[in-house]
Parts: sequence; C-alpha cells; structure tokens
Amino acid sequence: MQDQLSSTFAALADPTRRAILARLALGETSVTELAEPFAMSMPAVSKHLKVLERAGLIARSRDAQWRPCRLEAGQLKEAASWIEEYRRFWEESLDRLDAYLRKMKEPAKKTSSNGATKKKAKSRSKE
Amino acid sequence: MISSADAATEFVFKRTFDAPREDVWNAFTQAEHLKHWWGAPGSKIEIARHELRPGGLFLYCQKFPDGRTMWARFIFREIVAPERLVWLNGFSNEEGGLTPNPWVPAFPLETLNTVTLAEQDGGTLLTITVTPINASDEQTELFAGGIAGMKMGFGNSFKKLADHLAGQN
Repeated sequence: MQDQLSSTFAALADPTRRAILARLALGETSVTELAEPFAMSMPAVSKHLKVLERAGLIARSRDAQWRPCRLEAGQLKEAASWIEEYRRFWEESLDRLDAYLRKMKEPAKKTSSNGATKKKAKSRSKE
Repeated sequence: MISSADAATEFVFKRTFDAPREDVWNAFTQAEHLKHWWGAPGSKIEIARHELRPGGLFLYCQKFPDGRTMWARFIFREIVAPERLVWLNGFSNEEGGLTPNPWVPAFPLETLNTVTLAEQDGGTLLTITVTPINASDEQTELFAGGIAGMKMGFGNSFKKLADHLAGQN
C-alpha cells in the first residue's frame, strides 16, 4: 500500500495525467475521446493511461469493445485521504495555535476596562 | 473545482491570528508554549530537546491516545525574531536520526519549512511554506504530485467522488 501511494503521487506529478483524471471525473470515456484535447498520438495517451492504471487510479473495462476508462475508487480514496490528512495537519495545528493564543491573552482581558469578555470573531484566512 | 495546473514543489498555507506578532513568535519558538499546541492532530508532544539557534535541534515525540508514538525533528536554520523562522523538518527516531515518511516512504526525508509573520490590522498574518530539500529528483516529483493532487481538489471533491464510486460497487 505504501508503494502504491508513491506510484499514485508520481502519476499525479504529470500535468497531462492530471488533465486525464479531471476529464474522467466527469464520467467514463473512450481512449479516443480522451486523446482529443491533448494533440497527442494514441500511443502517447496509452502510455499515460498505463501509468495511471498501474497507480490504481483508473481502470479500463474489459467487456465493452471500446474499453472505456474510468476512475478507480479505492486508490483514489487512499490518495485523497492522505492528502486530506496533510492539509488537516496544518489546519488543525494552526487551530490549536489560535486557541492557545486566545488563552494566553485571557488574564490581560480580565483586567481591561472595556468589558472585553465578549468573544471576538474568529479571523482566519486559508490558502 | 478541479483543475490541472502545473505541478509546483511548494506547499503554502496562510492564516491570520487575532494576536500580536510577538505572541505568535513566542508560541512558535519556545518549548513551554510549543508543548501546548504543536504536533499531529490527536497527539500530545513531549520535547526531548529544543535548541533555538541556527543548527540547533528540536526533537519531540508525538504521543497518541492509542499508545502509538511518532518522533520528529527540526534543525533550525534561520531565526529572525519576530518575523522569520526557517527549519529542516523531518520524521526521526528517538535519537534524532532521520527516518522515512511513515505513509509515503519514497517522499523526501526532509522539507525546508519557512514561517513568516507579518503585522496586519492589529493581528498577525502567518505564512508557512514547505518545499523539499536534499531530495532526489524522484522524491521531489512525488512531493510535487502530492501538492498537485491537493490543488486538483483531491482532498475534498475527489474524496466525495471516491466515496460515491465505492458506493456503486
């Protein structure tokens, strides 16, 4: 599974492969249709599809004659969860820092004269 | 929602705090403050070493409620109070030796993390930049893939899509 995540991220590092994934997010499609917007030879597209297939991000149907490509749920979820975790690490760390900074300020607030007991709106901006 | 913008090797995160810059700086650079908020979600940290000087080591253990532990370290590079902190960031063993990322072993062992603090409307704007360092081309490419995945909305919209697809099977 660990190696699988590595090959998933390697697959994502290429802009054409990301564009293919973005297209497939709209629904399954044929290789011919996928190749259209890229001004790319069929073998070149097939190569990208093989990388995506090896990474477990897409699957190609065996039954239909036009062998449509579609996104694969399992590995997609694995990669999405990991990426979400990384973002969450920073998000939650900074939430805790925010809460801690407010706590640090509390003793000063109690002695201030302008009745600063009301909660201030949480101000934060995210990338 | 989903775009396929070029892969970058820089992860950037911004947040504003309703607190003076000095306070944010202190919270980020002093052991007695760090232990109250730093660490992976759900963990509490124990600090083994915290040497705030260029080349100094910050070595800590993240302890999870289920008993798991995970060591990590900073090597400080630049310390410019109260505006700029730069360190090499990585997972480690309890002696402080670098270890691979537990989830993606082929990731760069270390990233260069830069925190800048700017005064803004009485509060503080914090910007964190994370970029691979001392990494091979393959490691850097993996990192770029992760960042690209994040920008594509992998973390949010793709997760929902994956759940939806899984439900169909």
